[in-house]
Amino acid sequence: MRLLLIEDDDILGEGLRDYLRAEGHGVDWCRRLADAAAYRGEPYDGLLVDWQLPDGSGLDWLREQRHRGDTTPALMLTARDRLSDRIQGLDSGADDYLVKPFAPEELAARLRAITRRVSGGTAARRRFGEVEIDLAARSATVGGVPADLTAREWAVLEALVLRAGRIVAKTDLERLVLGFESELASNALEVHVSALRRKLGRELIDTVRGLGYRVGVPQ
Amino acid sequence: MTLPAIGRRLARSLLGWSLVWSLAVAAAVWLAAKDEAVELLDDTLMSSAEVLASLMVDLPAAVAAPPARVTVVTDHGSGRFAWQVVGPQGQLLVRSSLAPAQPWVLLQQPGFGVAGTWRLYALALGAGGRVLYVGQTFEERYEAQADIALSAALAALALGLLGHVWLRARVSHELAPLNRLSQRLSGYDPLAAGASLGAAEREELQPVQAAIDELARRLARRVAHERAFTAHAAHALRTPLAGIDAQLAVALREAPATLQPRLQRVRDAAGRLQRVVAALLALFRSGVELQPQPVDLGTLLARLPADGLQVEVPAGATLVADPDLLTAALVNLLDNAVRHGAHRVRVSLPRPGQVRLEDDGPGVPAERRIALQQALDAQAYEGRMGLGLMLADMVARSHGGRLLLPPTAAGFAAELHLAP
Repeated sequence: MRLLLIEDDDILGEGLRDYLRAEGHGVDWCRRLADAAAYRGEPYDGLLVDWQLPDGSGLDWLREQRHRGDTTPALMLTARDRLSDRIQGLDSGADDYLVKPFAPEELAARLRAITRRVSGGTAARRRFGEVEIDLAARSATVGGVPADLTAREWAVLEALVLRAGRIVAKTDLERLVLGFESELASNALEVHVSALRRKLGRELIDTVRGLGYRVGVPQ
Repeated sequence: MTLPAIGRRLARSLLGWSLVWSLAVAAAVWLAAKDEAVELLDDTLMSSAEVLASLMVDLPAAVAAPPARVTVVTDHGSGRFAWQVVGPQGQLLVRSSLAPAQPWVLLQQPGFGVAGTWRLYALALGAGGRVLYVGQTFEERYEAQADIALSAALAALALGLLGHVWLRARVSHELAPLNRLSQRLSGYDPLAAGASLGAAEREELQPVQAAIDELARRLARRVAHERAFTAHAAHALRTPLAGIDAQLAVALREAPATLQPRLQRVRDAAGRLQRVVAALLALFRSGVELQPQPVDLGTLLARLPADGLQVEVPAGATLVADPDLLTAALVNLLDNAVRHGAHRVRVSLPRPGQVRLEDDGPGVPAERRIALQQALDAQAYEGRMGLGLMLADMVARSHGGRLLLPPTAAGFAAELHLAP
């Protein structure tokens, strides 16, 4: 998944960025709302927004994004834990709400839950013919046999599965997998896609010539 | 203990005062009326004598001469007076039927006098030496005096009692603003926006209300400061704690296998620190904004970190509590159980509003348990117990209850009573 993390605390921001990257997500991290403007229009799978930021309220920023029509799943991170705060957070467009301190494992699980909801259903398992993909366990099986995927391969597969039935442009897919901060080698995406086809079967991922890739609608 | 009540004390004083006043006035009226009555009766006696004398001046000479027999004149009057006409030698000439047959000759001089049970007035009848005596029995006079005095005294007494009733009504009417102030105070929330007791109803209540309003303003200011501090402390503590955990999670992935157990221990300790901080912050807010609601114990306990502890909760166990505070208390009690070597905790609800946690650890000796309970009862936590029991007790107290450490056959038991 490609994620935008807006968190001003260095220790937490860096820790979350590294944790989520190690999970195979592309993470863009910015410390201020002003910096987040640079990422506007990027295809994110999820937003992780701190409520209190040096240049304003993350909640107001999110409300503004929703007003613009942005429906990217968003998780608010906050030190405010009063009932009224939680209600206000959820009512202002956040899909979920995590009170600090939290374990990064929980953050990752909640992120998966809200993105699943957006991509059609809460079930973590999606079936495409012989291939079964478990978004919660981050694993894939072919005919019941587990497939051994690298973190990058999983990231590509997850990005496509979360957009099942839709064509994902190559450039978008690259960004979704990595974010801005790392560059893929020019043919890296093709290498990952062909590895996925080798491991999961050729039928799973279609190439739509000149446009991008697509996986079918899960059964 | 019942305190003295202004209303009751005033009513008692008024009753006492009214009785004393009424009796004093009644006595004064009695004495005055009695003297007046004597004068009045004497005046009447004298007037009657003068009227009779004017009628008798022209009595026939026969009457003037010593008669063979005394003439008895039947008295058709009211019977209040009797009279005699006595000759110069003291012989009875004429008398009214009520007058005694013996002549009243005691009085040589015209004027008032007493003869036995009679009060008399003597008047010379013409120049013949005859004397007219008009008398009234003392019994009759006393009766008349008593009638007058008693009526007057009763009237004074009735007035006194009426005054008492009226004053009592006044007192309770004047004390009513005090009662209304108490009612307003009981519904008064100094932390509510724009909270004020409103205008005072009486001049005397003005300084009291002003003092209460000032106290409320100071309290509200202080609570606002504390809230601001909590919010600030929360942010200042929560964010680095989350950061430490995230960094440790990454480090655990990247570190060589030999370092991992050590890093895991650091992460566990950081986790405990997180829970303690969360509990302290929740407790700091307690009492200020308690938000009780029905809490499903099974769901809540399933979410709590229990580090290998097996927690048994009866299905559908719910109780009304502030979920954050209850979480803080339970986390600390479970943490205690783990640290004291328990593997299993049985949760039960002995009564509504009570949660009992019983573990299978080694427990504590009876003397230690009793000493802990005494320290909890006295809220003398310092140096007597760990943070866990203290927090649990404070959470229970913020709900109006307390923490009990009942004796058990084995292990350690703690009961959170969330209501008195």
